[in-house]
Amino acid sequence: MIWLAWRQFRAQTLVAAGALALLAIYLIYLGSEIRNFYDTRIANCTQQACYLARLDLRATYDDAISVMVVLLIAVPGLIGVFWGAPLVTQELEQRTDRLVWNQSVTRTKWLAVKLTVIGLASMAVAGLFSLLLTWSASRYDEVIGERFAALSFGSRNIVPIGYALFAFVLGTVVGMIVKRTLPAMAITLIVFAGLQLLIPTVVRQNLMPPVTDTVAVDANVLNSGVGMNLKEDNTFDIQGYTANGSWALEFSSPLYKADDTPYRGEDAKPCLIPDDREAGDACTTAQNLHFDYLHQPGHRYWTFQWIELSMFLGLSILLTAFGFFWLRRRS
Amino acid sequence: MTLAIHTESLSKRYRRHLALDDCTLAIPDGRIVGLVGPNGSGKSTLLGLASGMIAPTSGSIEVLGQRPAVSADQLARVGFVAQDAPVYSRLTVTDHLELGARLNPKWDQAFAERRIRERGLDLKQKAGSLSGGQRAQLALTVAAAKRGELLVLDEPVAALDPLARRGFMRDLLDFVDELEVSVILSSHLLGDLAQVCDHLIVLANGRVHVSGDVSDLLAVHYRITGRAGDPYRLPADAELIHTENSRDESSVIVRSTSPIPGAEAVDLEDMTLAYLTRATTTGPVGPTAAMTGADR
Repeated sequence: MIWLAWRQFRAQTLVAAGALALLAIYLIYLGSEIRNFYDTRIANCTQQACYLARLDLRATYDDAISVMVVLLIAVPGLIGVFWGAPLVTQELEQRTDRLVWNQSVTRTKWLAVKLTVIGLASMAVAGLFSLLLTWSASRYDEVIGERFAALSFGSRNIVPIGYALFAFVLGTVVGMIVKRTLPAMAITLIVFAGLQLLIPTVVRQNLMPPVTDTVAVDANVLNSGVGMNLKEDNTFDIQGYTANGSWALEFSSPLYKADDTPYRGEDAKPCLIPDDREAGDACTTAQNLHFDYLHQPGHRYWTFQWIELSMFLGLSILLTAFGFFWLRRRS
Repeated sequence: MTLAIHTESLSKRYRRHLALDDCTLAIPDGRIVGLVGPNGSGKSTLLGLASGMIAPTSGSIEVLGQRPAVSADQLARVGFVAQDAPVYSRLTVTDHLELGARLNPKWDQAFAERRIRERGLDLKQKAGSLSGGQRAQLALTVAAAKRGELLVLDEPVAALDPLARRGFMRDLLDFVDELEVSVILSSHLLGDLAQVCDHLIVLANGRVHVSGDVSDLLAVHYRITGRAGDPYRLPADAELIHTENSRDESSVIVRSTSPIPGAEAVDLEDMTLAYLTRATTTGPVGPTAAMTGADR
C-alpha cells in the first residue's frame, strides 16, 4: 500500500523536490550574502556606523526575505489545496475507489497509509524550507529583532511543519466530505487562510498570560525610537516601545510621574528645550517617569513555537480521527 | 453447501429512491450467475452491496459466509470490477499489475502477465489511453489474478462491441475453468449472458423476480399456445407469467412444478422476457400477479 501511495504521488514529489532544490540554492546564497554583510559591517561596529549599517541591512535584504517569507507562508496552503483536497476526491471522481477498495486492503488502512506517506512529505517540505529560511535569515533576524512579528513567527523554525500537516489533513477531510475536487480546494483555501489570519491577530497573544512590567523612562528608552503623544485630555502616552526581543501587545501606554499621577502637558513644558535633544532627554529622565509595558517576554519565543506546533498537530489528529470516522460511517 | 451470496430482506435506499427492495437470495457456490434487468433495476446496487462498496439500508448480505469487505481476508476472497472498469489513467499496465501484486496476498503474477500478453496489451502503455475493451480486460485481469473465490463483474461487456462481447464471454468461460472461481456478472441484455451463465437472477424495479439454476428454471416453465380465446386448463399450482395475444393465436408462459400436457419447453430468453415484461407492466410482483388455473 505504501508503494501505491508513493506511486500515485510520484509526480508531486518530484515537483516539490525540484522546487525545494531551487529554493535551497537561492537561500544558501542569500544566507551567505547576509553573513558576509554582517561580518564586514555589523560585527564590531561603532555607534553611528552601527545604526547606518542596520538601516542598510534592512534596505538591502528586506525584499528578498519578504518574498521568501510569503512563499513559506503559502506552502502549507498550497499543500492543502493541491495535495490534500484531491487525495480522496480524485479517486471518487475517477471512480478508482471502486478499484482500490476492492484490493485486499481495508479502507481504513488505505487512508492511514495515504495520510501517513503524504502527511510526512508535507511536513518534510515545509520543515526543510523553514530550516533553510531560518538559517538564511538568522543574522538579519538577530539585527532587526522582530521575531514575534506575525510573518516572521509563522515562517521560522518549527511552526511551518504544523501548518503544513494541518493544511494537508484539512484538505483531505474536506475532500472526503465534499467529494468534489474544486469545491474542496476552495473550501480548504478559505478555511486555512482564515485560520492563518485569526491565529496571529487574535489567538497567539493569548496562548500564555501576558506580563506587565513597570518600565522607568531613561535615556535607553528615549533612544529606542519611542514617541510621546499628548492626548486631548492633556496627558501623555508613550508609543512604540518594545523591549529587546519581546512582543509588545500594546502600541501606546499612558505615562505616569513618580507619584503615579498622569504625566500632563504642563509637566513636560520645562523639558521642551529646542535645539538640544540631549538636554531635553536628560530633563525628562530626571522626572522619573514610568509606564506599564504589556508584553510577552522574549524568552517565551520557543514556548510559543512549541505551543503553536502542538496546537496544529493536535488539530490534525482530531481531523484525522474525524476522517476515519467518516470513512467508516460511509462504508 | 456454501453459498456464494446469501441475502435476507436486503434493501438499499438512496434518499427517496428505493434501489433495492426486500431482496432475498441464496446463490450457491461454483456457479456463473447472470444478473439480468433493465437499466435502473438495481443490478449495480446489488453488486455494490456484494462487494462491500456500499452498505445496506436494511436486511443483511453475506458473501462466502461473511459480511462483504469486513476484513482484508474477506476482501482477498472477492474480486470486483465496477461498471465502466475504472483504472488509474495515469498509471501504466505494468503499474496496475504491480498494484495487484502488492495489495493482494494471493496474487498470481504469472496468470496476470499471460492474460495481458494474450490480450495484446502493451505493458508500458498508460491505462488512460487504452480502448474501452482493453481497459475492461485490464480491470478483469487485476480482479481475477487476485485468485479470490468469487468474481463480481458489473456490466463487464457494456462498453464492448458485439464481436468483443462474444470474445470476452468465451474468454471468461476459459479462465473460470482454470481458476475454479464463482462468477456473478450483470447485463441489461440476456443475450450477453445466455451462453455462459448456469444460474439466473432477473431483477426489475429493485426486486428479484426469478432466481435459480438455469436447468431448474427451464424444467418448470412451459409455453402453451392455442387459438385466441380458447380456454386452457392449468394445474392448480401453476403460475401464469405472461400472456401474449396475436390476432388468432394466444401464447402463455407458465411456471408449474408438475408437467402440463400439450405444453412445450421454453428457452431462457423467452422465460426471462416473460418475467421482465410482467415486471414492467404490472409493477412489483405480489400475490395478485400469481393467477392460477383454478381461478379460471
